[in-house]
Amino acid sequence: MSSTAASRKIEYSDSENRNALIAVKAHLIGGLLVFLLMMLAGFAMRAAQGTWLEIAVDLFYQIMTVHGVGVVGAAGIASTGVLWYFLRQYVRLSNTIFWVNFCIFLTGVVMILGSIFLGGYGGAWTFLYPLPAISMGAWSTGAAAVFQLGLLVIGTGFLILYLDIGRAILAGYGSLAAALGLPQLFGKVPVDNTHPPTVVAGTMVLIVNFLGIAAGAVVLVMGLVNLYNPEFQPDALLMKNLIYFFGHVFINATIYASVTAVYELLPRYTGRPWKTSKVFYAAWFAIVFMVMAVYPHHLMMDFPMPQWMLVMGQILSFGSGIPVLVVTGYGALMIVYRSGIQWSTTTKLLFLSMFGWAAGVIPAILDAMVTINRVFHNTMWVPGHFHFYLLLGLLPMIIGFTYHLAGEGRQKEVKATDNVGFYAYLIGGFLTSMVFLASGASSVPRRWAVHMDEWVTFAQVGTVAAALVVLGTLLFILRALISLPRAADPS
Amino acid sequence: MLLKIKQEWLPLAAWFILALPPMQRFLEQSMVTHMLVQIPMLIIIGWMIGKTLPAEWKAKIAPWNRWGITGMALTIVIMAYWMLPRSLDGAVSEWYFEVLKFITLPVMGIALNLSWPLLNSIARGVLMLEFWATLMRLGWLYLDLPDRLCANYLLSDQRILGQLLLLGGSAYAISWTLRIMFGTKIIKA
Repeated sequence: MSSTAASRKIEYSDSENRNALIAVKAHLIGGLLVFLLMMLAGFAMRAAQGTWLEIAVDLFYQIMTVHGVGVVGAAGIASTGVLWYFLRQYVRLSNTIFWVNFCIFLTGVVMILGSIFLGGYGGAWTFLYPLPAISMGAWSTGAAAVFQLGLLVIGTGFLILYLDIGRAILAGYGSLAAALGLPQLFGKVPVDNTHPPTVVAGTMVLIVNFLGIAAGAVVLVMGLVNLYNPEFQPDALLMKNLIYFFGHVFINATIYASVTAVYELLPRYTGRPWKTSKVFYAAWFAIVFMVMAVYPHHLMMDFPMPQWMLVMGQILSFGSGIPVLVVTGYGALMIVYRSGIQWSTTTKLLFLSMFGWAAGVIPAILDAMVTINRVFHNTMWVPGHFHFYLLLGLLPMIIGFTYHLAGEGRQKEVKATDNVGFYAYLIGGFLTSMVFLASGASSVPRRWAVHMDEWVTFAQVGTVAAALVVLGTLLFILRALISLPRAADPS
Repeated sequence: MLLKIKQEWLPLAAWFILALPPMQRFLEQSMVTHMLVQIPMLIIIGWMIGKTLPAEWKAKIAPWNRWGITGMALTIVIMAYWMLPRSLDGAVSEWYFEVLKFITLPVMGIALNLSWPLLNSIARGVLMLEFWATLMRLGWLYLDLPDRLCANYLLSDQRILGQLLLLGGSAYAISWTLRIMFGTKIIKA
């Protein structure tokens, strides 16, 4: 099937569209509320490290665990909402399956919260083997098992959703290769500039997340077997490889899912279409492999790792952000340049996300160098990278889309509260990340509940920055809660 | 007509050959041939019987097997039962376990044949992925466990089976990837 034929927009009934809009709003509101709670958790941890708040050490690690898993989950569910909203315009997606995933996700969240705050599990969201099984009395085997079962349940929900997305893409385009634009890239068919970027991005996310979740399904069950049958001791390094393949791919894919908001919305606000090309297809094809192959940059301190994997991890980490970032960042600049765009909170956030994405990968690239990694990897440098990437790259895409959906495009002027929210968030997000990076550069370790006196100032500045982020997000979320439920579909 | 009769009797003939004591002992003397040859063949025989069932039988079963759910539930229960090391051991040591195996596995094949086409495509995808994950998990367990799971088989046999399951899982993943990525089918249905 030619891409042009399949690129025609899909027709749904009014009731299907209404139901879909409610589902997307539920995903966004649910995701943003979890983000806010996790920011409060982060604020509390920074305040505790800065000696402004007293938190028991075991509670600190429980908060750290819920912060990590909560942010990854919120990023997953909210970015899925963004991708699904746009993708269903090109391929026929099922509302029921979308809701099923949401309900399964909530079930998994309840299980994870129970394991942490009732069972006391505090072994970090990465559940690195054999830590869940050797808590030294801090949590029970049952708590560790429920945490991993919660992740397994959430993974199953996402898997069902991706199967539906895969079914719809295969029905519309015949193969994933065609949806990625590979026949056009390799000259088998003429280039079709109207082939939707959202379909290309959605296919990439589908491929990598499907494989990532499949790896997660294996490693989580092996962890559970070990919990109840300690005689079975799998290779710890293989477990770590699979955990990071699953975890890194999942969180990384959220930004590739959310970037569809940039592809779809910037053209509407500038009046210039986002055209696909061979360069665009090549970039997205490359990123399919790169996203899956960069995870060894988490294992550079594991000396028994095969050398070729570490070399691959280093080289691909240098290059992994570049292809899509260049086509997207450059494309966004070209679309906006002298377009006469009217800046709103939506467009400001989408444009900010390009900066956050581009600048956020720089600390990651540095950390992916073996020699730097030896010194930096267990320091605050790493939270510095992912806070930059998530606070200034991913979240602005999601919040920007939420503003668009809330009907901001129909207003002539930006509200003062939105301006306060935007600048509080921007300054807070930037400062939070930079304080983490500066702490890392000063060798302040990460994942420590109690900080030495010399490090306390960093944590205190970080607390103020986190408060600004919370303020900005609170204003954004209030706006979302007030305007979003009643807003009509802007498209 | 003659060809049709032959096709209908072929699975029963295969079942009979597998049940012959020399063949039965030959396949059950190793964990690898027991799990990767005899058991899958019994399921395939059931699948073939399911294909040749008279239309009126299928029509009678259909109301009890809406969307293929009953059949798939039966399939999963039988499959899970024969994945237990105790069951496999029992089939080698006790005649009644062996009889149960020669009946339930073809029944599983029949249920699979009748239910798979009725199943929702998403449910099919979940089961296919779960099947792949089971191959990988079992392969890994058989390779890494320090003890024998079946009293009747050697640890070395268990390890070889583990390697073969991992190999099979990998081949399955590659073939599935080729199919959905490029529409290439290695085995034409």
